[in-house]
Amino acid sequence: MSKTPSRRMILRGLLGGSAVAIGLPVLECFLNESGTALAGETSFPKRFGLFFWGNGTLPHLWTPEGVGQGDEWQLSEQLASLLPVKDRISVLTGFEVRVNNEIPHYSGAAGFLSGHAPLGEEGDNTFAAPSIDQVIAAEVGGQTLYRSIEFGAYPGGGLSYNGPNSVNPPESSPYLMFERLFGTGFVVPGDDPVIDPRLGLRRSVLDAVLDQTHELRARVGASDAARLDQHLSGIRDLELRLARMQENPANLESCALPSMPPSDDAIGTLSERHRLLVDLAVMSFACDQTRVWSDLFTHPVHNFVFPGTDAGQHQLTHDELDPQPMVNDTVKQAVDEFRYLVEALSAIPEGDATLLDHCAILATSDVSLGRVHALDEFPIITAGSCGGALKTGIHYRSETRESASSVMLSIVRAMGINAASFGGDDAMVTDGLSALET
Amino acid sequence: MNQLSFVLVLAVFAASCVPPEPPVEFEEPRLRRLTEQQYINSVQDVFGTEIFVPTDNEPDTRARGLLQVGASSAAISPRGVERFEAAAYTLAEQVMSDELRASVLDCALSGEVDDPCAADEIARLGRLLWRRPLTDTERATLEALASSSSAALGDPNEGFQFALAGLLQSPHFLYRVELGTEDTQGRWTRAFTEFELASRLSYLLWNSGPDTELLDAAEAGELSTEEGLDIQTERLLAATRGREGLVAWFADMMHLAKLDDLYKDPNVYLHMSDTLGSSAAGESERFFEHLAFEQEADLRDLMTSRTTFVNREMAALYEVRAPAREGYGMTELPADGARRGLLGQTSFLALEAHPVSTSPTLRGKFVREVLLCQTISPPLADIDTAIPPVTEEAPTLRERVAQHLSDAGCAGCHEPMDNIGLGFENFDGIGRYRTQENGAPIDASGLVDEDAFADPTELASLLRVHDDFAACLVKSFVRYGGGQGEEEAQLEGLDWLHSAFSARQHSLKGLLDEYLHSAFFSQAGELEPVGPQDTTEDDSDE
Repeated sequence: MSKTPSRRMILRGLLGGSAVAIGLPVLECFLNESGTALAGETSFPKRFGLFFWGNGTLPHLWTPEGVGQGDEWQLSEQLASLLPVKDRISVLTGFEVRVNNEIPHYSGAAGFLSGHAPLGEEGDNTFAAPSIDQVIAAEVGGQTLYRSIEFGAYPGGGLSYNGPNSVNPPESSPYLMFERLFGTGFVVPGDDPVIDPRLGLRRSVLDAVLDQTHELRARVGASDAARLDQHLSGIRDLELRLARMQENPANLESCALPSMPPSDDAIGTLSERHRLLVDLAVMSFACDQTRVWSDLFTHPVHNFVFPGTDAGQHQLTHDELDPQPMVNDTVKQAVDEFRYLVEALSAIPEGDATLLDHCAILATSDVSLGRVHALDEFPIITAGSCGGALKTGIHYRSETRESASSVMLSIVRAMGINAASFGGDDAMVTDGLSALET
Repeated sequence: MNQLSFVLVLAVFAASCVPPEPPVEFEEPRLRRLTEQQYINSVQDVFGTEIFVPTDNEPDTRARGLLQVGASSAAISPRGVERFEAAAYTLAEQVMSDELRASVLDCALSGEVDDPCAADEIARLGRLLWRRPLTDTERATLEALASSSSAALGDPNEGFQFALAGLLQSPHFLYRVELGTEDTQGRWTRAFTEFELASRLSYLLWNSGPDTELLDAAEAGELSTEEGLDIQTERLLAATRGREGLVAWFADMMHLAKLDDLYKDPNVYLHMSDTLGSSAAGESERFFEHLAFEQEADLRDLMTSRTTFVNREMAALYEVRAPAREGYGMTELPADGARRGLLGQTSFLALEAHPVSTSPTLRGKFVREVLLCQTISPPLADIDTAIPPVTEEAPTLRERVAQHLSDAGCAGCHEPMDNIGLGFENFDGIGRYRTQENGAPIDASGLVDEDAFADPTELASLLRVHDDFAACLVKSFVRYGGGQGEEEAQLEGLDWLHSAFSARQHSLKGLLDEYLHSAFFSQAGELEPVGPQDTTEDDSDE
């Protein structure tokens, strides 16, 4: 509670001119506030990642044979490329997203990721509630440089919402993502940060902006006040980040400066772009710059013409004749990107385990069968045990069309968040999916 | 002056056949985030066009068909805050560089506490960037930032960057704060203030912030008088940026910004290039500018005019002679050709199509929703949307989509779209003219409501006189100017503005003039401020 006044005092003290005095003694008050220093932690932090692709699956080629653990079930046609990571994922089928399917593609994405039907009309929609990544980031995001990171191989879109009309736009340039996460100001573990008086000055400017925003907030109506609250929260995030950039980074063994990705025009394929982004995102977890990210390989209604197909993928889902061989191929390409992500997280050792073991990764789409925009048989895969909280290596099939929200509640709880429910209206659940929980 | 006098004479004339303006009520005023182009323009108008302005800070979002309406609901994300902050320093550093400093600042900074130069410049630049004079407290805070930063860094010019960065990332710059106040003239309960009117006028006409002269007029209380508003309107229209704001309205309405990301399969469309999208956007903007400003034509001629502007790329696509070696030149499309009007242009034809094929549904939907302001329900879930393949019996898309129209479940929504959209089938997915598809002749006939047409030129004529078209232009204009979608309480007012627009021969200047003198421009909605908040509580939720 006393943090704000003391921080302001520090900033004003800084303005007195002794900028060089900025250093650890000052910054420890932030550290104390935010809690644990990583070096002193005995367990590794839990992270959440979302992998999303647009326009769904072909459910009859998606659902695995058999249910249970290990050899009791076999990967399906569309999931075949997950064989090397089968023991680290859980495939959950037969679930339903329980919102009115009024806005094809968007209702499913909003309904699953936020547990609420979207607001607005077709074409200018917004989530009505925060998406799961932000539900989690609200609890764990304050402990890292970045509350969350959003990225996507196919440019544009955005499915990470802080609340209505407040989307976190994804980064699609590996180069810019590198600059943001590992460019100026990034300190490799073991090195000391370069003391930069400008960081303190920037914080005092932000403090003035914060005051102006508060003053403006008092004069506007309720809906604008909600927008300015999002703005204020972003300003505070940035202030905190500038402070933390002068701290010594936690001594994380697996954190290393990744190599600089090629420029955007030198990237040939969507897959190459995606994997470059994933490599950076994986390292952002390893370096504990964030504990939450969302990865939009493609987004709902995207019309990218995949290699080996002869039309935009959205058009194919609607127009290609059964059995839709090209749609099948594009779904398999998306699943293979997910395999890459899971293997990349598994390749990073953390203690006796791997980074993946400390993650809850959720893979999903906006519909099941794209042709009819179906919300039953919703595609859901998890990866990683999230520090032992989630089962891996299983295929669980719901015979009762359970609410997909139950998976979300299990994940939120696995992240160590004491949530009573997930979602609203018909999509609200108060029980997680016990079959997924350990 | 003569243009305006002409307009005024017409207004008097028209007043006899247009009913009096009915009372309207507006929604609560909303903050409007600067769009990307407004951010660029607002910065360059203050600091000069040589300055590099970082973009992609926060994507614009669309609502009620317009980015300008989306700007009234979009928030700024944490990444946006980060980018606007970085952009502020990129700009401030350039302004204070040896190359630019002298052209922006009117005096030399000393860096001392109470530096009169810093105080003057903060007041002057702040008034331009925030579109109103700064309060004493606001100035004092920025002056303190400048002097303490100068002391810390030992350089007054470096130190002043922090005051500039403070101005540039402030909510008073990033949002247009137009909240209104009690109407002192007794016309309504609430009206926009003089400075708010200055912003509303300059962003409408320039797509940029007000200049010193406009702010001076506001300060002198001139903008709430009819004469004062007319003088400034005429001045703004005659300036270099004079057409920019209203062309931006047209571009927003037509979704031209999407052409930046135009995506077509180059194996299918051999004329596709990285520049086709921007070439097509340039054509449509120039087409509108000529028709609305140079010809002062009936805006409904947007549907039917054969006068357009092509660069070499568009000329090749349209198979006409390129009138200019570089840039765009005016061309008259053949009088017996299928191509005419806005809907014969690649901007529309390519945007409303798939990467590998046309889409009568997308094209018809655009006409219904964007040009006629009608509502089409999204497709129902669990409906099979597959289009049958090309066969000998069904060689063209018309036969293939016939299924939508024969299935009663689909026809209700698809007929109104597809019957219009099929009228554009003579133009492929990037707008090239064609007479055949898969070796079979294309039939481009169709229906607009009850009226049959044989080809795209007849379709254009029907749309030109469609009752909803002119009304929709008015709606779009009002949405753009006010940044909000219309509500029940404005419908009567919109009808009135529509009849006033008709009485002014549907000219853009007539519409602008009627709009500026109506409640739509000056009246503010009721506002219930949330009031101050306990900041310690607010800060604890991190």
